[in-house]
Amino acid sequence: MAAWLKNEICDITCFASGTAPHPPAAPSPRRAGRGTIESERMKTAPPAILLAIGAYFGFVVAIGQFHGVPGLALGLPSGVIATLAAGCGVAGAIWFLFANDQLDSWRPPQILIGLALVCLAFGSYYGLFVAPPEQFMGDVQRIMYVHVPTAWNALLAMTLAFVCAVIFLFNSDYKWDSRMEGSIEVGVVLAFLLCCQGAIWAKPTWGVWWDWDPRLTTTAVLLFAFIGILALRKFVEDPARRAIWSAVATIIAYVDVPIVYFSVRWWNSLHQQQSNPGTVSKQFWLPLRLNAFGILFLMVAFIMVRARLAALRLEHEMAPPLPEVAELGEAV
Amino acid sequence: MEQSRMSEPFDAVPPMMPRVARHKVGGLTAALRKEFLLQWKTRTQFMAVFVFGATSLLLFSFAVGPNSEALRLYSAGFLWLGLLLSSTLTLAESYHAEMENRALEGLLLLPSDPRALYYGKAIANWMQLALLGIGLVPVMVVLYDAGTTDLLRLLAVILLGTAGLSAPGTLYAAMTSQARAKQTLLPLLLFPLIVPALLASVKATSLIILGDPMRQLPSWISLLTAFDALYWSLCGLLYGRVVEE
Amino acid sequence: MSGLVTGGWNFVIAAYVVTFSVLFIYGVSIITRLREERSRAAEEANTK
Repeated sequence: MAAWLKNEICDITCFASGTAPHPPAAPSPRRAGRGTIESERMKTAPPAILLAIGAYFGFVVAIGQFHGVPGLALGLPSGVIATLAAGCGVAGAIWFLFANDQLDSWRPPQILIGLALVCLAFGSYYGLFVAPPEQFMGDVQRIMYVHVPTAWNALLAMTLAFVCAVIFLFNSDYKWDSRMEGSIEVGVVLAFLLCCQGAIWAKPTWGVWWDWDPRLTTTAVLLFAFIGILALRKFVEDPARRAIWSAVATIIAYVDVPIVYFSVRWWNSLHQQQSNPGTVSKQFWLPLRLNAFGILFLMVAFIMVRARLAALRLEHEMAPPLPEVAELGEAV
Repeated sequence: MEQSRMSEPFDAVPPMMPRVARHKVGGLTAALRKEFLLQWKTRTQFMAVFVFGATSLLLFSFAVGPNSEALRLYSAGFLWLGLLLSSTLTLAESYHAEMENRALEGLLLLPSDPRALYYGKAIANWMQLALLGIGLVPVMVVLYDAGTTDLLRLLAVILLGTAGLSAPGTLYAAMTSQARAKQTLLPLLLFPLIVPALLASVKATSLIILGDPMRQLPSWISLLTAFDALYWSLCGLLYGRVVEE
Repeated sequence: MSGLVTGGWNFVIAAYVVTFSVLFIYGVSIITRLREERSRAAEEANTK
């Protein structure tokens, strides 16, 4: 663990000072064959602590309040609890991602997916069967218990893609490029889900499949923008160019998001007043938080797997040619 | 990149400017001169794109039907959609010269800032798109009965809107001209990005044509200006990374 | 729009089913692709 800590600090200081990190920037062709399935120890302790804190404030407290168990909140106001829950949960999950996605092991994604399934099972149970129907929207409100968590996580995935793109442009370490590709693809899946859920929510509420709500419209634009970036990655063959160009395109697309949101909001406000689908009142926080953590863990697991896939493919692309092929070339 | 006293001619630039600024401005004027020369030489292509734009305006009216009321109501949208579709042609075409004989590499070997290359090309594309827009206005007036006397404001909106198309478009065209499936990739990347510029331009043009009782025009123009300012600076910053070898 | 929205259970079930099936299908597809890629990489490493 000391070695891991030293590595991480070295990475961060190298990023801050703009020099190439250690190990060397280009991926070594020997990485793929270096270890068997459980060759490196999983780096879990610090992020797991953060996640535990997040989980405690996220739902242990909420479950306690729900069932009338006093004193779990440690006297903190609910705003602080919410911030601690969200902050520690997200920070822990992202730290876990960065610490473990370079490993050959299946264990980290397995753990995350297991936790995710538990959270989603409980969250959906609470959301579908325990929480009471809302005053105006009736049972359709229950869609919010998956819609809002998916929205938070889609935005988180896109932000992660943006951060990875910026870091890659500074230190040219291809593991950030793989992470960016993973985050973009998972972000696209979540954004697509968001549009589907939004349409399914809008039909019984507004009578139409799409009501040009600023948030959903921005999500649709974001979806198309990032699909475009995935298409760019597919159509560029040179790995260096592909990485730099998609990082630049990611930065440009991400910076556009708030502008799109405000312009659509202005554009739409002239036509309709509408309730925003995102409002959920206080007593319904528990299923929301459980599902949010569930989808967060699922998202991080998927990004880990996808980033690993991207890194392996990149190594294959950048590997030196096999000796037989080179000899054949000379003979021809 | 080190500045060299032996590089391009500075005859267009006042000799009292400090040396670094003189060099940067010199680089930009040289790039602009090259672009305008290229555009002048390919002016028949510009005519072809103009005809394409006018044809698309015609097609929009066929799509809606001979309903003069509806056509007038949506004329601003049709104008900007036509301009957007034509922009994919002009933007892709603007890198044609650089792609032949690997001219882009040769340009990058010159001791000037690659940003000068970017701004030169972006400004030239902007001028071309603005000319296209201005040329399509009479077509719009005739086909959709969408005239206005407020020509100065209309010109301002066309200039700001096409600036918003040109800045990211020039950056993306630099990428896609060197990739596969270039025809499809440029619109795929550009269109989601310029949604705010499109919204604002259409809204502003529509207010100019149909009247602006609630004085919303200034807010749309400020949105356009903010978008332009952001993307002209951001894309210029990133261009160096996009074209580096 | 005011008033009570009734009978929304079909939509709720549709939303949950769509969400979980898309996530499941995506997860299965990337895990399968990673498995294939890892076995291909291991094979290459063994033949070198």
